[in-house]
Amino acid sequence: MPDFALEVQDLGKTYRATRGRLGRDTGVIRAIDHLSFAVPRGAIFGLLGPNGAGKTTLLKILSTLLRPTSGRVSIEGIDALAKPLDVRRRIATVIQETAVEMFLSVRDNLLTFARFHGIDSDEARRRAGRVIELFGLGGELERKVQDLSGGFRRRVQVAKAFMVNTPVLFLDEFSTGMDPILKRSVMESLREENSRGRTIVLTTQILSEAEELCDDILILNKGRQVARGNMNDLKLLSQGMYELVLTFDVLPARIEAEIAALNPIRSHVSGNTIELSVKTEDAGAIELVGRLAKLGRVLHVEIRGASLEDIFVELTSNG
Amino acid sequence: MAAMTAMLYRESKIRATNVTFMFWDFLYPLFNLLVFGVGLTAAFGSPHSTEGVDYNSFFLAGVLGMASFAIASNSAWSFFLDRDNGIFYEMLTYPMSRAEYLLGKLVFNIGIAVVQAALTIGVGAAVLGISLRFDLFGALVAGIVIGTAGWFFFYTILALKIRRNDVFNSVTSALYFVFLFFSSMFYPLTPLPKLLRWVAMANPLTWEIDLLRYGSIGLGHPRQLLIETAGFVAFAIACFAFAIHSLHQE
Repeated sequence: MPDFALEVQDLGKTYRATRGRLGRDTGVIRAIDHLSFAVPRGAIFGLLGPNGAGKTTLLKILSTLLRPTSGRVSIEGIDALAKPLDVRRRIATVIQETAVEMFLSVRDNLLTFARFHGIDSDEARRRAGRVIELFGLGGELERKVQDLSGGFRRRVQVAKAFMVNTPVLFLDEFSTGMDPILKRSVMESLREENSRGRTIVLTTQILSEAEELCDDILILNKGRQVARGNMNDLKLLSQGMYELVLTFDVLPARIEAEIAALNPIRSHVSGNTIELSVKTEDAGAIELVGRLAKLGRVLHVEIRGASLEDIFVELTSNG
Repeated sequence: MAAMTAMLYRESKIRATNVTFMFWDFLYPLFNLLVFGVGLTAAFGSPHSTEGVDYNSFFLAGVLGMASFAIASNSAWSFFLDRDNGIFYEMLTYPMSRAEYLLGKLVFNIGIAVVQAALTIGVGAAVLGISLRFDLFGALVAGIVIGTAGWFFFYTILALKIRRNDVFNSVTSALYFVFLFFSSMFYPLTPLPKLLRWVAMANPLTWEIDLLRYGSIGLGHPRQLLIETAGFVAFAIACFAFAIHSLHQE
C-alpha cells in the first residue's frame, strides 16, 4: 500500500488565452506551474490561495476532470492519467459549483449517487438515514431539489459525499452557502471521516476553516507553491509578523495617516478600535504600540502572533 | 455494468418526473401517423405513388425514424440541463468510463424508442389496418436500436461541442428540416428530381428508414438495405467515437 494518498510531480497546466469575438490568440495562461507535492494517507490537506491561484484547476486534475499539460499525478498509488477510471473508484468529489439532480427528491439524490458508486440499495438506504440526520435533511426528504434554497442544495451536494467510503475525498469550497451551525457539524463529521483513515483534500477561501481542520496546508499563488506545512511551520514563516489591536476612547484624527505610515500588511478600523498586521522586530511591535498610543488615550491593547490570514496575505501579495 | 444500470436508474427517475417529455417521446410520433398519415392518405392515397402500398403503411417507418431522431435530440438536450445543474461535471468524476456514461444514457433511450415503436405499430395495425411483416421483425428491432444509437451519438456531439442552449436549438431545428425532408421519411425517392434524390440517398436517416420500412412492411431491396445498414452502423460507430472524444475534452 502506498504511503501517500496523492503524489503530484512537476505538474503543469496551460491554457490558450483568447480575446474578442474572433477569439484572437493572446498567449498562454499558466494555471499550474511546475507543482510538486505529496499528501500522506489519512491527512486533512488544505489548498489555499487567492482567486485565480489554480486551486480549482488543481482539484479538477486530481479528480480526473481535466488532463494536465505536463507532469504526473497519482492517487492512492494509481496513475491518474493512465488509469482515470481506477482513480474515480477511489474518490468522491464535491465540486465548487452546486451539483445536484434538480428534478429528483433529496432522498433520490442520495440513493442515485450511491448507486453510481456501486452500493446496493439496502446499504444505500441505511447510509442515507445517517446522512439525512447529519445534514438535517429529514424535513425535505421527498421535496424536489429544484424547490429548495441554494443553501439546502449545497447541503444535499455535500451530503452525497458522505454516502460513500472512498479513501480520498475532494472538497472544493464545501462550506459555501452553509449556515455556521451546519458548517460546524460538517467539519466535525469530516474529522470523524478522517479518523477512520479517509484522506480529505479541501480548498477554501475561509482561512479559519483551514486553520481549524487541516493538518497540512499548501498555499498556492499563480499556480505555484508559495508555502507548505502544518500551522506551526507556516507560523514560522511569519516571524516578525504581529497583529496589533488598540481601542481608543476617541479615535484620533490623524490615525489613518499614521497607520498608512506603518505600511501594514492589512488594517481595519471599526468604531474606536484599530486592528493592523505589521512585520517588524519583537521590540518594534511594542515601539509601534507606543507610537500609536501617543495619538490618544488607549483603553485596550493586544499584541498577537500572526494568524493564517496574515501569513496568507503576506505570501500571496508578494506575487 | 453497475455504472450503466445506475445511469439507467437515474435517467428513468428524471424522465418520469417530466410529463412533457413523456408526451414527446411516446405520443407525438403516433399523432403524426394518425393526423398527417391519415390526412395524406385521404388526399393523395394512390398506392402507385408510394411503391405499391397505401400512404399509412409507407409512412409508418417514417414515423418510427422520426421518433428515434426526436428521442435522440431530446435526450442530447438534457446535457444542457445537466450542465446548468452542475451535475454533468460531478458525474464525470463518478466511477464510470466515458463510454459507460454514454451507453447508459443510450440504453435508456433505446428502451423509450422500443416502447414508442410498439405503441405506434400497435395503433397502426389496429386502427389503420397496416399489414405488418412479423417475419421481418428482427430487422425492425435492429433498425430501432441502431437508429436510436446513431442519432443519440450524433446529437451528443452537437450538445457537447455547442456550449449555448439557444445555439443548439437553432442548429437542431435546421438539421430537423434538412434530415427529415431530404430523406425517404415522407415520400419515395424515385420520383424526386435527381439532385434531391442524391442528397436524400446520402442521408443516414434515409438508410435507417429504409431498414425500418423493410422490417415493418417488407418494402425494399435486401442488397441495397445491406449497404445502407452497413453505412448507418459505420455512421453510428464514428459518432460514438467522436462523442467519447468530445466528452474527454469537457
